[in-house]
Amino acid sequence: MAKNTIAEYAKFIRPQNFDELMLLAGKVAGRSLRMVNSTAVGGGVAEMLTRVVPLYNELGIKAKWDVIKGNNPFFGVTKTFHNALHGLESEVTDAMLKIYEEATAANLAELSFDEDVVIIHDPQPAGLIAAREKTKAKWVWRCHIDTSHPQPAVWDFLKKYIGRYDAAVFSTPWFARELPEPKYFIYPAIDPLAEKNRELAEGEIDAVLRRYQLDRSRPLLVQISRFDRLKDPLGVIETYRLVKKHADCQLVLAGGGAVDDPEGVEVLNQVREAAKDDPDIHVLLLPPAADLEINALQRAATVVIQKSLREGFGLTVTEALWKAKPVVASAVGGIPLQVIHNFTGLLVHSVEGAAYQIRYLINNPEAARKMGEYGREHVREKFLITRKLRNYMVLLIALDHPGRDVIQL
Amino acid sequence: MKAKTPFEFYTSSQLVEITGQKAGDLKEFLESVKGLDDSSIFYHVHHAFREHQFAPGAYTNDFAHWVETEVGEHALAERLANINIKDYTELAAVRSRIVEILEAHLSRNTAAAAKHGFYFCRNIGIIMKTGHLTWDYESFCTALKRVGLRSLFFHFFEARLRLGKKSNDFSSWIKDNFGNEELARQIEALDPYIYTMDQLRDEIIALVRRASRQDRIGGILKWLKIR
Repeated sequence: MAKNTIAEYAKFIRPQNFDELMLLAGKVAGRSLRMVNSTAVGGGVAEMLTRVVPLYNELGIKAKWDVIKGNNPFFGVTKTFHNALHGLESEVTDAMLKIYEEATAANLAELSFDEDVVIIHDPQPAGLIAAREKTKAKWVWRCHIDTSHPQPAVWDFLKKYIGRYDAAVFSTPWFARELPEPKYFIYPAIDPLAEKNRELAEGEIDAVLRRYQLDRSRPLLVQISRFDRLKDPLGVIETYRLVKKHADCQLVLAGGGAVDDPEGVEVLNQVREAAKDDPDIHVLLLPPAADLEINALQRAATVVIQKSLREGFGLTVTEALWKAKPVVASAVGGIPLQVIHNFTGLLVHSVEGAAYQIRYLINNPEAARKMGEYGREHVREKFLITRKLRNYMVLLIALDHPGRDVIQL
Repeated sequence: MKAKTPFEFYTSSQLVEITGQKAGDLKEFLESVKGLDDSSIFYHVHHAFREHQFAPGAYTNDFAHWVETEVGEHALAERLANINIKDYTELAAVRSRIVEILEAHLSRNTAAAAKHGFYFCRNIGIIMKTGHLTWDYESFCTALKRVGLRSLFFHFFEARLRLGKKSNDFSSWIKDNFGNEELARQIEALDPYIYTMDQLRDEIIALVRRASRQDRIGGILKWLKIR
């Protein structure tokens, strides 16, 4: 994958904002930063780290990225943790906690931390904080999921690690839990130059649609997400069936799997079973490198759906808004920050609500176009990678000035 | 006309801290507001100006927005939305006004529960020089167009209330260096609630350019009179 230079991002944002980004970079140049997460490919965190780490280096921050190692039982445990932190009833046994602790110890034996700042992403590698006393680094736990209503057993177990960081960062204020360290929020972001978001020629879009036997002359409803119960793919099929009673349309449910998501296969099988009798439902299991396909499907969509039951921030929504698509999405997680109802998209709370709003958009293309335009501007201001780079540089500065409200450089 | 001291443009970046305080109804909300520090008040009454640059008038302050959308107390929301930060020179006075409005409401009504709670945050501001330094009206206008909206935010809002300067930085510089009290007053009187940040910047530039033209005409008339 070709790396983009920071200068290539200037065209997406105001020149003044770009100048300020460079100004901030001058203040933090020379610092060293280590990012650690649990997967090199698949999922939003890995995608973003792939993009931001080279950019930080170009901006003068010596940034490295490590991925912890784990076997299937470990990722099974962390998936359970993930669901439990989202509030789903999950059984957590002592044996599972032991698997987590053993994998953490194995990773600690292989890693050393010499940087100024270490940012640990999500619960899987959170136990690495055990190395803190041996380092000079400031440690930050970056939580990408909604921990507002976790299962207490899992939260209490993880808190003994999470509560030892110098700072915690959440995607929205309402995702956060009480912790002893200062807590900040930084919105996630998308990269407009990534294969998943770059502008596409019509020919590129058509080629993808042909490959998946989709008919561009008929309305196309698209939900892009991992095959995960929390994304409610079966609810999307129900929604589509309600729409189909009134309007001819096709449905695409497309997503990849991630190595830390063993539950995905089971959900995919249920979705395939539910879709098997309808040739207009296209269930596409995409490989990790299918960014071009996702981009084309989002751009070809008449309406993009994100009918999640729970959601982290919902970067697939951000991607659709950036492509100026009308979005119908559940009012969960970080989605209401992105979809301002009736302005940048439509928020829904049920299968019936989603179906009604989709019918409205199919039949009112001008309203759909206008919403798409506002959505793109909303993302330009708040959810592009340049803003995220800026926020993390500000965090690096703030970590050096604990307890200060105004820091004059 | 050249200033005695240059105007130096700064910019501010912010990191938002989650305080952990949450209000589930208006009574809890009132109790929390009473104890809020200046950084929290500043964040919640100002950040809509930074965040919603393309939608003027859609939001005023976070408190009003929450009462409207989550509590459904429309009259109270309107009263809170009507708090104009330009009427205040101290954040403590803004807090007192919010408390006064909430207490008056709760003395007549029960504390309605919110659909979703209010999460209090606070602002950590990082202030830096932009490198733009100006000595006269024209170069001031050019620089104001060139610096980012965060710089405008810093000099127009942050300096005034957060750093306790009582007036915006532009007005202070104009008054101190050019003695133009009328222009200083006009800039201070601009109503930020009806403009986007882009529009606010353009209004300031238009006022300064007009004053600059008047200065030039005044200079020519003076020269002609001497001749």
